[in-house]
Amino acid sequence: MDAVTYPNENVIEFIQKNMIPLRVAFDAQPLATEFNLKWTPTLIVLDADGKEHQRTVGFFPPDELIPSLLLGIAKSYFDRERFSEALSTLDKLIKDYPNSDSVPEALYLQGVSKFKSTHNPKPLKEAYEQLQAKYPSSEWTKRAYPYRLL
Amino acid sequence: MAKTIKWETKMDVALARAKAENKHILLDFFNPG
Repeated sequence: MDAVTYPNENVIEFIQKNMIPLRVAFDAQPLATEFNLKWTPTLIVLDADGKEHQRTVGFFPPDELIPSLLLGIAKSYFDRERFSEALSTLDKLIKDYPNSDSVPEALYLQGVSKFKSTHNPKPLKEAYEQLQAKYPSSEWTKRAYPYRLL
Repeated sequence: MAKTIKWETKMDVALARAKAENKHILLDFFNPG
């Protein structure tokens, strides 16, 4: 991460603009125990109350880190039922990083967020149809499989 | 001078900034080697 991803200008700009970056050593206590840290790099997205919403383990290249962080931010909004903000964050991820590995999960979460905010099941079926068309082998297509029947 | 990420190193400082700036925190556990 230090050699490739964190020096990237786009990564620096995104993090400085959108997040509070906090870096601690893997054995720093009490955080390592509180977060049950087992391996590095581990990246965790927290809300402003310190609650965890996404955890990833392992290296990310620059063009995958930013969409992964956007997904984490969207999950934070989703977890707190702030669906409008979740959807705008997911829209940005899908529009700006269409080739990212984070897109299938974003499409799934987009469908669920629309359903949770409207109680209309149609977005769930649309999410499955998009996933099936674009990412037939994705685990998120499999998770959305039941929605084909809606 | 090259731009770099300006990392916080204390959770309490990061939480205070996150609340004040209405942002999420990126917590990176790393191996300093």
